[in-house]
Amino acid sequence: MKKFRFKGGIESRKNRWGWVFIFPSLVFFSFFSFYPILNALYTSLFKKKLLSLKPPVFIELDNYIYLLRSPDFWNSIRATMVFTLGTFIPMVIFSLIFAQFIVSRKRFRKFFQMAYYSPAVLSSVVVAAIWLLIFDPRGLSNQLVNFIMNTPGVDHKWLANASMVQISTMLVYFWKYVGYFTIIFIVGLTSIPKSIYEAARIDGVNAWTGFWYITLPLLKPTTILVSIMAMLQCLKTFSTQYLFTQGGAPIEPINVVTLNLYNTAIRDHRIGLASAMSIILFCIMLFFTWLQFKTARSDETSY
Amino acid sequence: MKKCIMVLLVSLLLIPSAISAQAAVELTYWTHEDPNRTEIENRYIGEFEKANPGVVIKRVTNPSKKMAERILTAFAANQGPDIFNLQIEDEYAYIINQRLAPVDPKAAGYDSMKSIYNAYIPKVLDPVTYEGSLYGLPLELTNWCVYVNDRIFKSAGLDPSRDYPKTWEDMVAVSEKIAIRQGEIIQRRGFDFRYPYYLVSMVPMVEQFGGKLISDDGKQAIVNDQAWIKFLTFMQAWGPNGKNLGSPTYTNARKLFNKDNNDMAMCLSGLYQAGRIRADNSEFYNSGEWRVIPFPKFKDAVSDSACAYYGHYLVVNAQKPKKNQAMAWKFIGYMLRHSEEYLSKVGLIQPTVTLMESATFKGMPYSDVFKKDMERGHVVYYGENSAKIQEHIRGAVESVMLSGVSPEEALKNLKRKAQETLEE
Repeated sequence: MKKFRFKGGIESRKNRWGWVFIFPSLVFFSFFSFYPILNALYTSLFKKKLLSLKPPVFIELDNYIYLLRSPDFWNSIRATMVFTLGTFIPMVIFSLIFAQFIVSRKRFRKFFQMAYYSPAVLSSVVVAAIWLLIFDPRGLSNQLVNFIMNTPGVDHKWLANASMVQISTMLVYFWKYVGYFTIIFIVGLTSIPKSIYEAARIDGVNAWTGFWYITLPLLKPTTILVSIMAMLQCLKTFSTQYLFTQGGAPIEPINVVTLNLYNTAIRDHRIGLASAMSIILFCIMLFFTWLQFKTARSDETSY
Repeated sequence: MKKCIMVLLVSLLLIPSAISAQAAVELTYWTHEDPNRTEIENRYIGEFEKANPGVVIKRVTNPSKKMAERILTAFAANQGPDIFNLQIEDEYAYIINQRLAPVDPKAAGYDSMKSIYNAYIPKVLDPVTYEGSLYGLPLELTNWCVYVNDRIFKSAGLDPSRDYPKTWEDMVAVSEKIAIRQGEIIQRRGFDFRYPYYLVSMVPMVEQFGGKLISDDGKQAIVNDQAWIKFLTFMQAWGPNGKNLGSPTYTNARKLFNKDNNDMAMCLSGLYQAGRIRADNSEFYNSGEWRVIPFPKFKDAVSDSACAYYGHYLVVNAQKPKKNQAMAWKFIGYMLRHSEEYLSKVGLIQPTVTLMESATFKGMPYSDVFKKDMERGHVVYYGENSAKIQEHIRGAVESVMLSGVSPEEALKNLKRKAQETLEE
């Protein structure tokens, strides 16, 4: 029986097996991510209606020019940025605090992990539906806030007021995803060797100084990962805003790019214009990811 | 020899399946969820399949809110169902983009096109008539009137038979009397609108003041500024920053009405609502403590417009083979021959002349109120851009009700956006 042999050295052999293992995910990525991106880029150069059987008309960059001149699109950019900044920064900070809190527990650690993580397993649609009931003027949110603040009968207009509805969407998203990022931070925190803390304690370092000068620097790769993931997640937000507007909330304050894109494609059937929006959103996401990598510089930490 | 026998056997086995594959027509029928209708339509499918051997009909139900999106996605991929129904505002784009097959009168059980038009009450087939061809038959035609809970009226010291609101000004006054608030939070509402449906129920309110959505020549959007400002001022006063009588962010009125939980005295709905009250709360339905009253009008109205009526039309996919199209129209014709059962079991009006004159229709509670209001109204605005225009009206109403924008400013924005959409 003839044995199959690799040509070249060990390194080359390893590389070939590497290619074999990543091949399925490469195929998957090409079909479901890379091809749609290229297709959207191509479609964005045409005037194309979803239902029309007529061939699409090539209009060069007109869709992009239209969008850059459209006040509605700029409002969507504003809504997306406000939501992203208002959600991802607190999410990164609080998930780190929660992770530190859980790691420092000697008892009930598993319970807290489960409690924080459980909202992340719910579908976004279910989450938005639950929160719609909570934010109903007669719902729990008004009752709770009025009880705490001793302001009976005040309607805080969680879904009605332009500022409040933005805060409401941030709250929902924060509640849903903070547990997910907490778990990632817990993994990062537990991977820091205890011996470093022990050595520092012998040198007289207290808990607070240890957190600032040992934990935070050594947690840098995890922090970068979490902040990029959280930011991208926030830029892509859709279902909360969609369901809130279906539930009667005003659209303008929370008309994020993805919601505008959806309405342009599905309600107005303008798939060329919607594709242009998706490409702009893609570029924004790409830019911020690059910026975070650039500002973080080195993401490698050695213990 | 063995090989020959095998080939022969395989051929013999394949022949019947090839024949049945040739004879079979499989139709897919997508429609929205409605348990009462599902029951009778599944029966029609069984009967139709029995009478037409080789025909298989697959009925797929979708949530009402998801229907338009799912059909659109399927058609965008050229995978639309053989038969479907949508509201005309969503369906019209399929007609003008030539995605639908014209009605086959013979297959649908009519002698000619003229006999179809004669079978229906005037104008109801206009929305599905395009460049001389007919593209759909109505599954239901709906208009809304106001449902009243007598118990709540009585508990507020009102006599529902005498004090029911005839005008929008009455509606405000009656709602003020009925409303129970805990501070700013309304615990019991007198009446509230059906907010997502601005074209159906709010545009007629503008028309009562003499305004129009689109000019007669189709070139101008938002006609008669004064009428629109009066309407927006009314909505501003209705909302939480005005008299605080209702808001789009409260649970929708129609849902609460059936429960009779002393939290919703009046709501807008169609004839079908009676069947839903019966299904949700038979005690309330049988108590007789509810009634239906006409759509109000403003005291200084210049036009007597009631709620616009909208239709769900059954249509056939033009991309399917001709034999599927013919069979689809035959099946639609078969279903629609049961209009009295649709009315009595589901509460849907299929507006044929025969049905509107039938004892079944006249025997339905408050059918006379709906019929008279239908005569006062007109079909809802439909066009390729109707959904977007509705979104602009929504934006204007929400901005005056919730965001403190003045009616003048809201109108200015609405005019700009609606005109831009019309010109697109």
